[in-house]
Amino acid sequence: MAALLRPARWLLRAGVAARLPLSLRLLAGGPGRPHAAVCQPAARAAPVAGQLLSQVRLYAIAAEKKNYLQEESTSQRRNASQFDWALMRLDNSVRRTGRIPRSLLQKVFDNTCQSGCPGSNHALLLLRSCGSLLPELKFSERTEFVHRIWDKLQKLGTVYDVSHYNALLKVYLQNEHKFSPTDFLAKMEEANIQPNRVTYQRLIAAYCNVGDIEGASKILGFMKTKDLPVTEAVFSALVTGHARAGDMENAENILTVMKEAGIEPGPDTYLALLNAYAEKGDIDHVKQTLEKVEKSDLYLMDRDLLQIIFSFSKAGYPQYVSEILDKIAYERRYIPDAMNVILLLVTEKLEDTALQVLLACPVSKEEGLSDFGSFFLRHCVTMNTPAEKLKDYCKKLKEAQMHSSPLQFTLHCALAANKADLAKALMKALKEEGFPLRTHYFWPLLVGHQKKKNVQGIVEVLKGMHEMGVNPDQETYINYVFPSFDSIKSVRAILQENGCLLESNIFSQAELKSEAVNGNLDYILSFLESNTLPFSFTSLRGSLILGFRRSMNINLWSKITELLYKDGRYCQEPPGPMEAVGYFLYNLIDSMSDSEVQAKEERLRQYFHQLKEMNIKIPENIYRGIRNLLDSYHVPELIKDVNALVEREKTDSRKTTQLTSSDLESTLEKLKAENQPIGDVLKQLILMLCSEENMQKALELKAKYESDMAVGGYAALINLCCRHDNAEDALNLKQEFDRLDPSAVLDTGKYVGLVKVLGKHGNLQDAINILKEMKEKDVLIKDTTVLSFFHILNGAALRGETETVKQLHEAIMTLGLTKPSTTISSPLVTLYLEKDDLPAALEATIECYEKYKVLPRIHDVLCKLIEKGETDLIQKAMDFVSQEQGEMTMLYDLFFAFLQTGNYKEAKKIIETPGIRARPARLQWFCERCISSNQVETLEKLVELTQKLFECDRDQLYYNLLKLYKINGDWQRADAVWNKMQEENIIPRGKTLRLLAEILRNNNQEVPFDVPELWYEDEEYSLNSSAPSVGETNFQKDLSNACQKKKSKDAYNIFLKAQKQNVVFDSGTYNNLIKLLLTKDSFTEAMQVKDCAETHIKGFTLNDAANSLLIITQVRRDYLKEALATLKMALDLKQTPSRIAVTRLIQACALKGDLEGTQAIQKMVNGLEDSIGLSNMVFINNIALAQIKNNNIDVAIENIENMLTSGNQTVETQYFGLAYLFRKVIEEQLEPALEKISIMAERLANQFAVYKPVTDLFLQLVDAGKVDDARALLQRCGAIAEQTPIFFVFCIRSSQRPGKAQTLKSLLELIPELSEKEEAYSFIMKSYVLDSDVSSAKVLYENLTAKNVKLDNLFLKRYAVLLKKAGESVPFTEPPESFEFYAKQLKELRENPL
Amino acid sequence: MCLKLKMAASAVRTVTALRTSVSRPIAFVRKIPWTAASSELREHFAQFGHIRKCTVPFDKETGFHRGMGWIQFSSEEELQNALQQDNHVIDGVKLHVQAQRPKVLQGDQTSDEDF
Repeated sequence: MAALLRPARWLLRAGVAARLPLSLRLLAGGPGRPHAAVCQPAARAAPVAGQLLSQVRLYAIAAEKKNYLQEESTSQRRNASQFDWALMRLDNSVRRTGRIPRSLLQKVFDNTCQSGCPGSNHALLLLRSCGSLLPELKFSERTEFVHRIWDKLQKLGTVYDVSHYNALLKVYLQNEHKFSPTDFLAKMEEANIQPNRVTYQRLIAAYCNVGDIEGASKILGFMKTKDLPVTEAVFSALVTGHARAGDMENAENILTVMKEAGIEPGPDTYLALLNAYAEKGDIDHVKQTLEKVEKSDLYLMDRDLLQIIFSFSKAGYPQYVSEILDKIAYERRYIPDAMNVILLLVTEKLEDTALQVLLACPVSKEEGLSDFGSFFLRHCVTMNTPAEKLKDYCKKLKEAQMHSSPLQFTLHCALAANKADLAKALMKALKEEGFPLRTHYFWPLLVGHQKKKNVQGIVEVLKGMHEMGVNPDQETYINYVFPSFDSIKSVRAILQENGCLLESNIFSQAELKSEAVNGNLDYILSFLESNTLPFSFTSLRGSLILGFRRSMNINLWSKITELLYKDGRYCQEPPGPMEAVGYFLYNLIDSMSDSEVQAKEERLRQYFHQLKEMNIKIPENIYRGIRNLLDSYHVPELIKDVNALVEREKTDSRKTTQLTSSDLESTLEKLKAENQPIGDVLKQLILMLCSEENMQKALELKAKYESDMAVGGYAALINLCCRHDNAEDALNLKQEFDRLDPSAVLDTGKYVGLVKVLGKHGNLQDAINILKEMKEKDVLIKDTTVLSFFHILNGAALRGETETVKQLHEAIMTLGLTKPSTTISSPLVTLYLEKDDLPAALEATIECYEKYKVLPRIHDVLCKLIEKGETDLIQKAMDFVSQEQGEMTMLYDLFFAFLQTGNYKEAKKIIETPGIRARPARLQWFCERCISSNQVETLEKLVELTQKLFECDRDQLYYNLLKLYKINGDWQRADAVWNKMQEENIIPRGKTLRLLAEILRNNNQEVPFDVPELWYEDEEYSLNSSAPSVGETNFQKDLSNACQKKKSKDAYNIFLKAQKQNVVFDSGTYNNLIKLLLTKDSFTEAMQVKDCAETHIKGFTLNDAANSLLIITQVRRDYLKEALATLKMALDLKQTPSRIAVTRLIQACALKGDLEGTQAIQKMVNGLEDSIGLSNMVFINNIALAQIKNNNIDVAIENIENMLTSGNQTVETQYFGLAYLFRKVIEEQLEPALEKISIMAERLANQFAVYKPVTDLFLQLVDAGKVDDARALLQRCGAIAEQTPIFFVFCIRSSQRPGKAQTLKSLLELIPELSEKEEAYSFIMKSYVLDSDVSSAKVLYENLTAKNVKLDNLFLKRYAVLLKKAGESVPFTEPPESFEFYAKQLKELRENPL
Repeated sequence: MCLKLKMAASAVRTVTALRTSVSRPIAFVRKIPWTAASSELREHFAQFGHIRKCTVPFDKETGFHRGMGWIQFSSEEELQNALQQDNHVIDGVKLHVQAQRPKVLQGDQTSDEDF
């Protein structure tokens, strides 16, 4: 490579003007006067951006392809997805704004660095972003940035190629960076990188930018010698070069030269010329040239004109800007381009021109529309534009009605950037314009100083506030001033010193609050004692509570409370000290957590006692609140201490002792006998009976003491009757309840219970009356209430009670008890769907839409219509949907309905409708539906059919598919998804990869990629409606963690701990734990978790995988009945149990001779065989086995023979494997059966030419070591020897299990010709190797070589390794590569035979 | 530092306390211009009724608020008054006002069985 570079060096050293072509030699005339680097194209940002992105995309695709082909390492793959992320961020920014904010580039860069070794395309992306895409940075800063990136990435191990060097060159050019092209080439040579055409072209531009025609010519000459084409870009550079060398004539001449060389000057060349004239301030030539361009068929874009503006301005001719602005056509993409030029102008300190361009922007100036120009103001602030100028700009923007509050916005920027002087100037301007200055305007400034603990700075700000007449408030002091000082005393002193402590009252109160918060109660007390100012206790309450909680000094607590209670200065206004202090106590306890109250119980008791001694009283209603709090904190022991403070003496003392119902009953009778009031005891007894669910007794009691009944008792009784489905008594009780107190209100649940029971028993009017009452009494309707309504309606719909559904629904809706929703209205449709009355169902749906704008169960209706082929009704439904909700919705409805009903062709047609695009929410809806009803095929079809769907989030769809596979534990299909995603070039998100990894791991498979870090996203939990508290999440996290890591003991312990603390998990977590415990054979523990889950989660069920494991474990423990029950339940839940679980159970039943059980299972899984993956042979084998076990040998044999000889076979004869049956019969030594089976097998072979059974039997005999029996069988039935395919399969299977060498050896002895078959001998050798049977291996090898069989490398390798291990010499050269290598070689050879 | 934390905590608590109160009539205000703080909000919303509490939490790291605030009226009716007005403008900026959706339903704490 160095050799290739040599000519370049030679070229740079020697003066080669003589070698240049004549025309160029002419041009190379004047000596290049080195120019100060003046402006060069800066604003051609957008084309650069476009180019950048399209190239980057190519790289991305290339990288992807490479990955796909190479089966690359995981880190590469991770890089690819990270690259994608970076690309997306930068791409978005460029597309939206034509630029990249510095912070974004920095972020992408930092992220790249953290990721370790960035890939080369990634590096390219970063490097290319450092040029004109960063208009907010000075040229020098951009170059600095690119160098930082360059060096850092190199250090991280990125390998640069020529594309990186070229990118760096481009950035240099865009940034007007002065550098030595010679050094640059040397640097490339050092790195062994060969420059290419682009490199030379850019180096020419670099020379031209500084007017060095000589340098440019040298390279040009070299390009000529290399026969590299000279493009327009080179000529444009030469235009600039001559111009900057001061030779405009030759610059202009280049155009002629170009034409002579056969290249027509394009817009780029003219732009170079225009910029050249602009840099000279030659407006006349600019105009002439523009006219020339206009007359030609060339076209300059607004972006080009903006660049000319920049050139004029930068060269010091702002007076011509307006003339160019006039020529702007304001194309559609103008605004982002203009914004970039404006930013660049500001960066270059040409703010006035920037404003001029800004004001010329065609933005809508209507009232109320968003402000324009903020970006300009913000950048001015960043670039330290003087305040006077900024104020002027603000004024002009406001006058032009471009920005409604430019001064305020600029102030915001100044504050955020912590530019105090500018902020001050702007605030003054605001004040002058009559705007108020608010205290919080100063907070950002204070924050700035506070971070550095800059006391002087803070004092300065406070002085500034004082100057502007703004007084700090309490918040200012507490939050922004005090924290920077050692003590508040010192603040006071320093402020006084600086003369900015006027409102001493505010300061004092801030001080008081601050001290309170710090728990400095001494100070509080002395302040309150000495204070003379009026003072609101409520304003102090919050801080005081914090103070109390931070201080342990109960005496001070009490003293302060007493002072507040008794001193005339405080709490004396209505409602008075009792209320104030009571409320304070309530708030104090409310602010503490339960654990805090528990920990401080003794102190609180002491405090209450002291208060009592001080004769402090609180009102009873507040006491009740406190009581409830303490109760909920589980510290009821404190209640009596608070109770002592209550003003009135008579309070209902709470009975804390637990009494039994019979105790209560006798007390009741005693009281009654003594003629004392019994209300309380009666109520208590009724409540207790209700909790014991003793309805009979409770009702009797009520009848007996009716006159003493209170509302509370009735309420409980009503609820009890509803629970017991006793509509009559419930209604009677309700009427009595109403008579007792017409205004009394039941709680929501009880009303719902009444509606339910009344509706169910057909008392519709009564049910509706209850609904009315709910409305009238304004009963709280919660989400769960609405759900209950739905269940009531749905239950009635399923029972087919048309009137009930209609009337109750009508009542609920007209009363407005809930807003219309598809859920609440769906029973109206269900009613007819259940009756298969499709026209009415559709009518009901449409009616719902007309009334409530919801379309309940439209999907189900459509599915049924499709199933029944009701074309007219489908048409009607579709017309309606398209008219009301649009065509797209209709198409989706139809698509889903076709999918659901298995009409995939039709579904495909629908989703391929031109113009249809992805609707993520609807797709997700259908996915979730498929997942919850375990419709694997439907979901797979959905994913397949939407592949080409516009804007479809493929990753999300695959994620859903994986979720379903996870439920089914189907790792093979999950693994296939992984491949499909690669095929489709989809970059999986982290969560998808994690899910995939989880499925593979759960099934003991290797994970072929790095699982993204951010592990365990608790997605399932976030779906829960009620967010778990912190403690729960921690348990949940720990537990999930332990489950993931397969630490069953840890997981179980966490569960026990959580159980003790009454923490409940979601069902997914329980399922995971149960699964883990079952795989570890911790059956008892697993069942305990299951019980716990069932008690806590209503309707908790194990999922498919857990149930399958449960079955396996139960079988292992010989709990066959339970296992059968589990299977039945799983199937009832529409779950798909795993193949292994079902098989194990069948085998166990059969082995027990449990024919009934075996057949029951067959019936249960009937129709599911395919989804479970169950072969029919499993049943045939096991039913026969069960029959044999029951001594029904003949029946078994007859059945099998029938199956094999009758015309309608379910299983083809070559797959009719009875090996299992034979093995079991041999193992269990069922001799008579074996004999009869043998006869059957022979008969099948001899009379029906069905050889599979006899061969299987033969092989099982060999396998069981009954070689003599096998030989005898072979002699009787010679055709066995010809069943080579069956032998192959047997050999392959046997070779995978250790200890089969003997079996295979016997097999070879019986059927010697087998050893010459390639498929057989290699597996037999494998088996010998597995069992280290050297001598047998030797015999095999010698036998084969003797017969001149050509042995493959894999065979030889195996044999060689076996010999070496045994310490013997290898009689041939051992194949050098690995096993995998030869295995692969062999496989390829077989697939593509030469 | 500790003090700062405490203050932040107390601010958060105030807000959460406001949030969790189910039945309380609270307006949630967004897009508050940076120039306005709680007193400006209070002043504006006072026209609709008595304001019990008005919070605009400030970010102690920047000294600016995040454009959000909560206003607690003393009655549902007053809240409705405020919500019914289309245009709420402070310092020339249009606010977004909506009813605070109760996040956590605390359940009906007083059961009728307590009668």
